[in-house]
Amino acid sequence: MPQFEQVGVFSSLIFWSLVSFAILFILLKKYAFPPILEALEERESKIRTDISSAEQLREEGQKLKVELEAELKKAHEKANTIVQLAHDEAKKNQEKLLQETQSKIKQMQLEAENEIKGSRNKLFSEIRGYAAELTVASAEKFLKKRLDDKASQDLINESIDEVIQSMEQSAN
Amino acid sequence: MESPLHHFELHPLVEINFLGLDLSINKAILAMWAGMAIVFFLFKAAGRKEGSLIPGKLQSVLEVSLEFIRGMVEEFIGKEEGKKYFSFIATVFFFILASNLIGLVPGSYTITSQLVVTGAFAICIFIMTLVIGFTRHGGHFFSILVPPGVPKIMVPLMVPIEIISMIARPISLSVRLFANMTAGHTVLAVLFGLAMSASLALGWMPFAFTIVINGLEIAIAFIQAYIFTTLTCVYIGDVINLH
Repeated sequence: MPQFEQVGVFSSLIFWSLVSFAILFILLKKYAFPPILEALEERESKIRTDISSAEQLREEGQKLKVELEAELKKAHEKANTIVQLAHDEAKKNQEKLLQETQSKIKQMQLEAENEIKGSRNKLFSEIRGYAAELTVASAEKFLKKRLDDKASQDLINESIDEVIQSMEQSAN
Repeated sequence: MESPLHHFELHPLVEINFLGLDLSINKAILAMWAGMAIVFFLFKAAGRKEGSLIPGKLQSVLEVSLEFIRGMVEEFIGKEEGKKYFSFIATVFFFILASNLIGLVPGSYTITSQLVVTGAFAICIFIMTLVIGFTRHGGHFFSILVPPGVPKIMVPLMVPIEIISMIARPISLSVRLFANMTAGHTVLAVLFGLAMSASLALGWMPFAFTIVINGLEIAIAFIQAYIFTTLTCVYIGDVINLH
């Protein structure tokens, strides 16, 4: 096998491979590995911080959400109370107004009834007065001039006309 | 038919002699340099857009591979200790991977199919682990030769066994990589030789096999680089954590 027989090349193979390895080691260690390892480390730390900050943000968001929900609940309760109060107030006002209107209407009704009653009484008494007057006048005339039927008829008509006239006058 | 081992032969392209040592540049060294250059420029290109948090395709692939190696280092060596050795382990992985893969390019050479090269790396790593062990633990490092929970009476027996197993580590490490690379390339060379020498009516069969074997070789290039790197991690982790 040439690898065992070619003793002459051994020295150069050993020398150059070790020297070359040493050079490659120095070059890689100095120039090639650091940027890649740094990038790796940087990425790792960035991911780590990103995750932790995201976690923190999430926690904060959660807290904020709970707070907002509580606030919203409070606001809801407040609004409900306000609505209830307004509702009660409106109901009270309505009832009051209804009562007032009803009593007013009753009063007005009463007044109207009274007025109607008064007018009727007045009218009745007036009618009674005129009727008495008419009876008296017609009886007087009837008694005075009971000569013939024709004449009495005319007299009655005349007295009725008089009564009407006097009524019209009083009405005017 | 040409010997299937013929393509493992190396001939100097640029002759260099330094203090009586032959340091000539040959095909294997050129191929290795090409692999190294590809590795370096890939990483340079990937890391060029500095500060870009969204990685490109190349950057993603290289990041995944580096993450993979980092996971391996952290698992076998330890999270804090591993940081010191990460660059070394990653370089081992990419160096071997590039050397393995560049050898699959026709006309190129796989430097990891040279036992002296894999042996040199394995011995260097072995010596490195010894140095790390002694500097970290001093004399206490010898306790690595006695597995925990062994009865005292067994110690004289265990120590030689452990020494043998320690010495076997660099040997197995180097031979495994060398043998895999050599075997794959030899099989490919045999199949190509058959395809070339047979008539077209028969020659297509070994040629079809070379395609399959080539795919297999790519997988083996990755697997062997991974095994070499993992074992390096394990050996370093062993001397740091002492069992």
